[in-house]
Amino acid sequence: MNRRTILGLAGLAILDLLISLWVGQQAYSWMPPQASAESVLVDNLFSFMTTLGSFIFLGVIGTLLYAVLFQRAAKYDASDGPPIEGNLKLEVVWTAIPIVLVIWIGTVSYQTYDRMSILGPMESMAMGMPTAEAATVDSPEAEPAPINVYARQWAWEFHYPEQDIRSTELHLPVDQRARLLLSSEDVLHGFFVPAFRVKQDVVPGREIGFEFTPIREGRYRLRDSEYSGTYFAANQTNVVVESTEAYQQWLATAAAISPTPAQNVAYEEFNQEAQSTLDLGWKTVKPAPAPIVNYASSENDSHE
Amino acid sequence: MSNAPLELTPPNLQPQPGAPDNWRRFFSFSTDHKVIGIQYIVLAFIFFLFGGLLAMVMRGELITPDSDLVDRTVYNGLFTMHGTIMLFMWTFPMLNGLANYLVPLMIGARDMAFPRLNAAAFWLVPVFGVILIASFFVPGGPSQSGWWAYPPVSLQNPTGNLINGQSLWLLAVALSGISSIMGAVNIVTTIFRMRAPGMGWFKMPAFCWTVLSAQIIQLFGLPALTAGAVMLLLDLTVGTSFFEPSRGGDPVLYQHFFWFYSHPAVYVIILPIFGVFSEVFPVYARKPLFGYKVVAVSSLIITGLSGIVWVHHMFASGTPGWMRMLFMFSTMAISVPTGIKVFAWVATIWGGKLRLTTGMLFGLGGLSMFLFAGITGIMLASAPFDIHVNNTYFVVGHFHYVINGAVVMGFYAAIYHWFPKMTGRLYYEGLGKLHFALTFIGLNLNFLPMHPLGLQGMPRRVASYDPEFAFWNVLASLGAFLLGVSTLPFILNMISSWVRGEEAKDNPWRAIGLEWLVASPPPHENFEQIPVILSAPYGYGSDEPLTANDPTKELASELSES
Amino acid sequence: MSSANLDPTLETQTVSSTAHAEEDHRMFGFIVFLLSESIIFISFFVGYTVYKTSVTDWLPAGVEGLEVHDPLINTIVLVSSSFVIYFAERFLHRDNLWGFRALWLLTMAMGSYFLYGQAVEWMSLSFGFKSGVFGGTFYLLTGFHGLHVLTGVLLQGIMLSRSFIPNNYSGGEFGVAATSLFWHFVDVIWIVLFLLIYVWQ
Repeated sequence: MNRRTILGLAGLAILDLLISLWVGQQAYSWMPPQASAESVLVDNLFSFMTTLGSFIFLGVIGTLLYAVLFQRAAKYDASDGPPIEGNLKLEVVWTAIPIVLVIWIGTVSYQTYDRMSILGPMESMAMGMPTAEAATVDSPEAEPAPINVYARQWAWEFHYPEQDIRSTELHLPVDQRARLLLSSEDVLHGFFVPAFRVKQDVVPGREIGFEFTPIREGRYRLRDSEYSGTYFAANQTNVVVESTEAYQQWLATAAAISPTPAQNVAYEEFNQEAQSTLDLGWKTVKPAPAPIVNYASSENDSHE
Repeated sequence: MSNAPLELTPPNLQPQPGAPDNWRRFFSFSTDHKVIGIQYIVLAFIFFLFGGLLAMVMRGELITPDSDLVDRTVYNGLFTMHGTIMLFMWTFPMLNGLANYLVPLMIGARDMAFPRLNAAAFWLVPVFGVILIASFFVPGGPSQSGWWAYPPVSLQNPTGNLINGQSLWLLAVALSGISSIMGAVNIVTTIFRMRAPGMGWFKMPAFCWTVLSAQIIQLFGLPALTAGAVMLLLDLTVGTSFFEPSRGGDPVLYQHFFWFYSHPAVYVIILPIFGVFSEVFPVYARKPLFGYKVVAVSSLIITGLSGIVWVHHMFASGTPGWMRMLFMFSTMAISVPTGIKVFAWVATIWGGKLRLTTGMLFGLGGLSMFLFAGITGIMLASAPFDIHVNNTYFVVGHFHYVINGAVVMGFYAAIYHWFPKMTGRLYYEGLGKLHFALTFIGLNLNFLPMHPLGLQGMPRRVASYDPEFAFWNVLASLGAFLLGVSTLPFILNMISSWVRGEEAKDNPWRAIGLEWLVASPPPHENFEQIPVILSAPYGYGSDEPLTANDPTKELASELSES
Repeated sequence: MSSANLDPTLETQTVSSTAHAEEDHRMFGFIVFLLSESIIFISFFVGYTVYKTSVTDWLPAGVEGLEVHDPLINTIVLVSSSFVIYFAERFLHRDNLWGFRALWLLTMAMGSYFLYGQAVEWMSLSFGFKSGVFGGTFYLLTGFHGLHVLTGVLLQGIMLSRSFIPNNYSGGEFGVAATSLFWHFVDVIWIVLFLLIYVWQ
């Protein structure tokens, strides 16, 4: 290889790197708002992996494109290419590259996971992972009892045990570690708040402790992420992250409201005439009645 | 190609499988591996079209946020059957078809080790296909619990009937498993025992290596799925409680059984396509496969690793942290042998004399799509990131880039490449290139938008969604319809070329390989005499003969000449 | 198949592979199949172990545990039958057909006794397959294994009847060898199963 080739290749590599770094920065904007301490960690990890991935992708695709554009056989050229069957040095190098990359990505992922420690204390004892660096922003002295999250076909219900409040909207104070206890009464569900980047299957017959830290006020979508049957897609509600004062205010207001049936898409759709063009009358599991709660969310509420 | 016959081979009087004039053989219980191969491929492709049609109805529903085109039960039935058909009725039979057709030809055998078992395995496919389709017509419709059939949803059985969509689904999957095991025993035995003299392991074409690796996975993986499926069926029908949490069962154990097979199943699907890439690139780049031995062995490494990665599907299932980290690293490790292959293919293409036939275009397209899927795959292996995108459209986008991007494109590459061999006719390049363009645009338009959707938090398997996801979904739906349209030039090309295409020579691509030494289509029992192999495959640019004898001639006639 | 033995120079390599017919590969294929089949049992064993170590109320109410005495006799009968079938095969190799038939029949009798003992045990149990995960796994494992024993006995019956076709087994017989191998396989599975279910309580 002469000097010009080396310089040219180096230039291309730098160009590839610059584009990849730019794409990696764009990765942040593909994500929902960063509403939890965990989301910052996940987004950094994603941006890092996007940068590396773009570098590899552009490098390989660029090479292929060059070959396709400039290394075509002439129309009547029936000769063969050079009979190169391999190159030990090259093969060692490109075995080493993925190994190094994998160890790198794995280590960064491990560190990120370690800092997230989103499964609650119950699980983390079993898994023997250190939780020292938990992404806690603020841990108050007296820990409030965990909020019970009940998933069923097809409704979410939240129970605040200390105030004995039931709600179909999850309210959480900002900048405090949220502690939840997930349980399901029928099938598998998944607790998923995209803005928090956290997800946990809710397994019937088990109570799963789950923790994360909201850091940004707003109303976000909470979705069922584990397929749970007919009305699975409609099984969503909102999470409201608010200041401590607003949160206390909400608890007080909610406690004063007497329980009424909440709005529930699955239950209402089940009880009304079919709306779809194609309904073959296939039987479904009957939805649970709308939860009776102190505070009901509305599907009309706007969310981020 | 120094050992190509100098004089024309005498007209072959034996019936030639593949020629349209004896099409009736394709509807018979033929034991000829070439007939069975084509039977597999054609039947599988019909199911591919059917599964695609289901997907287009689904995309029709998803073009608007509300659940308005089909009832939610219908939508759930559609995605369950789409997944099931595409895996058990399309990819597995299609790849078995390719393996059936090519492996005996490539290793210099006259047929598979057990021709009757081979035919029986094939004829199970229409049987369970009919069962699966029939489940649309039982009360309550087909299974609506997804192709993964997680309990307790799969145990709910709202109709209360013993014969319901779910039990028929389990029956069909069990029969598919039996068929696959029969096929796997046959293929593994054939490759181990029937290679032509002189064909040591490192003289065997890479496609056979990948098929062997894939079938070994079937052998160790499928029984685990069978075990889980038997337990699920007992729960559903006779009232045991293996996976029923309300009576002490453990639904997560089912997930282990399921993914212990169903993740490796992805490698069962992709490995033979890696083999296709390894066969196609050298021919049209006129260069030997770069690092052939490493490429060959890396398939077996993938097989080995595939058995220890399944928990990455369950990062959000309440899996303890140590397991998450362990399986994160094992999953990422698979990218090493895979990366080696990708680099080897690029090096094969680099500096060659490229000829962009339709087969080569699909090969290159499949490679690029696979590269993209591989990169999102490593991202998914990273547990903290996976927790966010698990069960979202990001995953759907990722595996469709694998299965539609790499596997379907690889399948097309294989069909275009071996079409002259299978039928004795040439296909129309123009239609082929149109097919490639439509497929390439259609699939990227369909599956690329799924990535931003998933990152934004749109769950998969939903019949309705929040309005903020509408934009990308409209694009994806348009892509799906385009992808549907893209099959039309292919079907037109295949049928018209087979019926009245230009006659193909024995070796129209000037390719090196045993299958190209015999007539197109190859005669019954392939070789007049079993070839004796002298050199490693892919001897492009060098002048070594592949075989010591001319396998198209009978032993006796060769002797009389000399 | 092509005509063999025309040219001594080419014969060595080509004929060896062309003359081989399907039967030469059958034993190889059967071993591959058995290896695959063993994974089903391993899966069940792993499932059993996971349940046993994780389920809180393992034994159904009123069940103390399993009786070991009678199953142990059953086990001894089944395991010994593996030796009997081995000697039956030896007789066949030495072309002693009647010796083969006698020992082969004895194997069948021992296998049938095992099935009978299994049935007696099932009848006497106080729990059914619906009695929680324990009941389910117990009947699943013993039942699935029992099906294999039944298959083995039936295969042995076929092989025995085929021994009466004159000269049928003169050149050795794949069916006999495969049945015998299958029988050893069923035996080994039972030993693991016995240790897992009856000994580890």
